[in-house]
Amino acid sequence: MSADSDRLVERLLRRLLGDIREDSGIKQRHSELKRARLIRRLFQSGLLAGIAALLYVSLNAAGFRRTEWVEYWPQFVEALAQYFPPKLYFGVIPFVDLGRYYRFMTEAGLVGEAGITLAIALAGTIMGAPLALLFGILGNERVTPFPFNFLFRGVMSIIRSIPALVWALIYVPLGGITPVTATLALGTDTIGELGRLLTDELEEVDDGPIEGIRSTGAGKPQIITFGMIPQMIRPFIAWAMFVLENNVRSAVSLGIIGAGGLGVTLTIEQQTFNFTNMMATILFIVLLVISVEMISQRTRSYLRGDDDTEQLSLYDRIVGLPERLSNSLF
Amino acid sequence: MVLRVQDLTKEYGDTTALSNVSFEIPDGSFAVVLGESGAGKSTLLRILNGLTAPTSGSVYLDDQEITNSRSDVGMVFQQHNLVDELSAYDNALTGTFNRTGYLRSLFNLQPTEDRELALEALDTVGLLNEADQTVNHMSGGQQQRVGIARALVQQPTLLLADEPVASLDPASAETVMTYFRETAQKRDLTTLASLHQVNIAREFGEQFIGMKDGRVMFVGSRAELTPSIIEEIYGEIQTEELREGTEATDSDDLMQSEPTHIEAES
Repeated sequence: MSADSDRLVERLLRRLLGDIREDSGIKQRHSELKRARLIRRLFQSGLLAGIAALLYVSLNAAGFRRTEWVEYWPQFVEALAQYFPPKLYFGVIPFVDLGRYYRFMTEAGLVGEAGITLAIALAGTIMGAPLALLFGILGNERVTPFPFNFLFRGVMSIIRSIPALVWALIYVPLGGITPVTATLALGTDTIGELGRLLTDELEEVDDGPIEGIRSTGAGKPQIITFGMIPQMIRPFIAWAMFVLENNVRSAVSLGIIGAGGLGVTLTIEQQTFNFTNMMATILFIVLLVISVEMISQRTRSYLRGDDDTEQLSLYDRIVGLPERLSNSLF
Repeated sequence: MVLRVQDLTKEYGDTTALSNVSFEIPDGSFAVVLGESGAGKSTLLRILNGLTAPTSGSVYLDDQEITNSRSDVGMVFQQHNLVDELSAYDNALTGTFNRTGYLRSLFNLQPTEDRELALEALDTVGLLNEADQTVNHMSGGQQQRVGIARALVQQPTLLLADEPVASLDPASAETVMTYFRETAQKRDLTTLASLHQVNIAREFGEQFIGMKDGRVMFVGSRAELTPSIIEEIYGEIQTEELREGTEATDSDDLMQSEPTHIEAES
């Protein structure tokens, strides 16, 4: 393998730098390496310049104008004062008036609203998860032969390409934008999201047990059920918890378009310019999401147990920040 | 059952894993395939169990051709290939799958005889008390014995084992091999195991098949397996005497050099 790739690199270099004799001396090798490094540096600088240009073009397209920033900045600062109403504690210590937040939270019954948001997320996840497992398994090449497994993968891709918010719009004829349609939307979204994560997980399933079951003369359904699925249960629960976290956030967004729960409260307060109340709702959302994350985190680290630390390390790296934040809260 | 292998050839692209392998194992005998890593032992066993299809040639079990994984051929794997998440008992029960319908196996509804058969097999390998333990909490030797139990539950007539003790420490290897031989004798099974430890092979085998570079170099009994033939199979360096010689000098060297080394470091 490495000898092969060495030869490949050599061939590439030769193509870049012209033919160089194999028996060349150290000096020649040195200048070769120098040139290769220079080319790499140039390429890297070019790449960075390209990314900078892309950012510039994108900002322009999104309508960022320096004049607008200057114009609107005071307005934002003014709003900030309402987001975080100041108060002098004991007549000396200035801090955010937490009492006002608390008053709104109890008056508006945010606990109940959070219950609705959580219910939408839970019901959606629980309905979507088994289907995600089914689609994920059927999308695996070892289960369904090549062209046909892409039928299931394709369905998952299509589901995933439509945001949960849009799924809610699609389900509107089923009774308007209500907690019911929101739940259906999240259920559908879960099939695509969780199914995708499980497809990747299934690629890494160990062949050993599958072969072991196969060697007993078992039928294909038995091979899948006993050789594959037991290996999938831990990652399935772990990823389902992760998707639940996302679904709680999505349930809030669905509330913003009117599907009930904390999102509704959020839009009402925003549209009536009660910015203090709006911030109280946001804080409550933060509280809800972090609680769910902590429970999910605990479950997953429990599932990982002693020997499974490798399995989720990539996930930990990608989405590690909220994890570390919630862990530090303990 | 008489196992007859005829002109077996297996090619993976350009590489030939097996070329024209033929031999016969008499009913009820314990045969051992010897050979270095890469000699084609695993490929041979996988073909015998129908896990891999040969490029050409055929395998007969009492004149009936083997083409697919079947319940009457039990296989014990080097890496156990058990379902780690299930208990030893449940793993043993997977040996009944060939005669259990999908729904029955899904809800664990095997008939009582089969359940007793699974426990009996676990008893044979000395794991009756550990039956409810999850496999991934067991030691390597215990796992391999569960692997043997699973193969026994299939009620095989031919028992295959691909390097059953290669990943075990010497003591566990001895235990596993002892259970393996006792089981084979008790149930009068034709057995074929690949091994690369010559001493274990000589201790347990009755018939020997020596392989090198995908070819059969030797077929014969223990008496016929002379040191010179072993040398031929493994190449000269691997003979036991030579190995022992190098080991002794190696450890002497270590004894002398180690203390000074440590002192120099601290």
